[in-house]
Amino acid sequence: MAAGIYVDKVRKVFGTFEALKSVSLDVQPEEFTVLLGPSGCGKTTLLRIIAGLETETSGVLKIGDKQVNGLPPRDRNIAMVFQNYAVFPHLTIFENIAFGLRMKKLLNSEIEPRVKKAAGMMHIEHLLERYSGQLSGGQRQRVAVARALAMEPEVLLMDEPLSNLDALLRLEMRAELKGLLAESRTTTIYVTHDQVEAMSLADRIAVMHGGHIIQYDSPIQVYQNPANEFCGGFIGNPPMNFLQAERRNGHCHIAGAALTAPSQGNGRVTLGIRPEDVVVAEASAADHLSGHVTVVEPLGPHNLLTLSVDQQLFRVTTAADSPIRSGQEVHLALAPGRLRWFDSESGQALH
Amino acid sequence: MISEKTLPYWLLAPSLVFLIALFAYPFADAFIIAFQADGQWTFENFRTMADDINFGLSFWNTLILVLIVVPLQLAIALTMAMMLTKIRAGRDLVLYVWTIPLGISDLAAGVVWLALLSERGYINTALSALGLLDGPTLWLSYETPVALFVAVIFAEVWRATAIVMVILVAGVQLIPKEYNEAAEIFGASAWQRFIKITLPLLKPSLQTALILRTLLAFEVFAVVVALGGRDLPVLMGEAFLWQFDYRDSGVASAYAVLILLISIAFTLVYLRVLRVKEEPQ
Repeated sequence: MAAGIYVDKVRKVFGTFEALKSVSLDVQPEEFTVLLGPSGCGKTTLLRIIAGLETETSGVLKIGDKQVNGLPPRDRNIAMVFQNYAVFPHLTIFENIAFGLRMKKLLNSEIEPRVKKAAGMMHIEHLLERYSGQLSGGQRQRVAVARALAMEPEVLLMDEPLSNLDALLRLEMRAELKGLLAESRTTTIYVTHDQVEAMSLADRIAVMHGGHIIQYDSPIQVYQNPANEFCGGFIGNPPMNFLQAERRNGHCHIAGAALTAPSQGNGRVTLGIRPEDVVVAEASAADHLSGHVTVVEPLGPHNLLTLSVDQQLFRVTTAADSPIRSGQEVHLALAPGRLRWFDSESGQALH
Repeated sequence: MISEKTLPYWLLAPSLVFLIALFAYPFADAFIIAFQADGQWTFENFRTMADDINFGLSFWNTLILVLIVVPLQLAIALTMAMMLTKIRAGRDLVLYVWTIPLGISDLAAGVVWLALLSERGYINTALSALGLLDGPTLWLSYETPVALFVAVIFAEVWRATAIVMVILVAGVQLIPKEYNEAAEIFGASAWQRFIKITLPLLKPSLQTALILRTLLAFEVFAVVVALGGRDLPVLMGEAFLWQFDYRDSGVASAYAVLILLISIAFTLVYLRVLRVKEEPQ
């Protein structure tokens, strides 16, 4: 039974530091939400408040229809996967997975099939008699997830669960988790600083920065229409390009190009465009930028060009067989419909 | 001659020489003396020890004292260590105050409690002033063995609980916070977390603290002498008596060997009961 999660104007203050500044979320039942942001943005604090490990300074918190402010974690019908797995070293893997069920005082006859089922889902049936000290990091990670799944919780909370795995294993676990959690249809909140993980897993991403939720939208929306410069710069690798533009007579002028200005805003504006939405053009045109190639990095599937456009850093991806070399002067065509404008002062998106 | 390989041994050498000269040698010597009389190998010293009128009394006094004091200290120290995890501001100050008795020698500790409990001590004075006692009352005499025993327990708990606490506080700090949080998430109450998570993970520290404190408890001497003189015979006190009053090193050494054997026995029990599984990483 999946439940929704309703977070309304939650604030958290540690001493004089305001970790969360009035944060609101509305997670639908069965939805997979990722809290994404750099370290110190408040994402883990928000997750811990939802878990009941941390107490909010103010605000309302509901799981399903039940207000859970002030309730201890065990009365919230949640399960959690910790960043360092927190697999108890003095208990066998079986007892680790069974821990929550034993606390609920279930009978052995109920516990065993549920432990076996959860272990089966994570492919660790053969490890049940072992101790965590005998397991690899990836296996411990599986135990931590199995322990959470065995609870059959209304809400599953995951705190950077893949960040301690090596790159290859992380990729493998990511795909596996996605399949598994889609199948179990449990409402999930997943904290990460890895934007690829967020894009891959989320139904909706809440991008957090400085204790605020900056944008709360589907991955594709967050990627294509970032709410501000921070979102555009944080999501995508390489990140979105930003160029300062000069606004004159309804046009924005950058590096020799005259582009149609956004209808909103008056002051200085910044152009944002993703590296894959730029093509190196044969000839110049009124809406082409001119730039100077400083570095060419062949990455296999494509080449990454670093350019200087109007003395500002600019990145473009080109085909792997592109003949462009460093030192060349080039013309850059911007894919129409992919241009994004931001207020240079506030960084907010303009339309 | 001193290479990178041999350097550690050179650095260890002074402490080894020191221990052999001042510990292993006298120890072996005491062992030999215990089993010799008039230049002959014999159990005579042990027979004299066992036949002595105070032997049974001192043996049981020591054992009962250990069996009461050590569990009491462990319980109190555990409580103190757990309470320390709950406070943030002033934690260090509380820790320092609690460890003050560690800096006092055991004889001084005995004298402190003597000053409190003697006929005209602070406690009698206070109790008479409050009208709870008619006049100076004797607590620490052979006529009030229970009161004397309780006084020794108080003094020992006051004096030596801190060392157990310090070891346990260090152990508690080594337990990652996430284990407790995970247990909390998965439904364990505070008491269940203590029993099912903290205590098992604290095993290595519990083992160290128990061995250390039990060995020292069997050597209890100065506090007992300060409070009760010879009214409360204990094993170490008897050893002292035979050595310096009766001038019989043989019997004194026999006592020392007995204390050693009891200590070894208890240590083995702790090692067995509180063994920590060797887990291949």
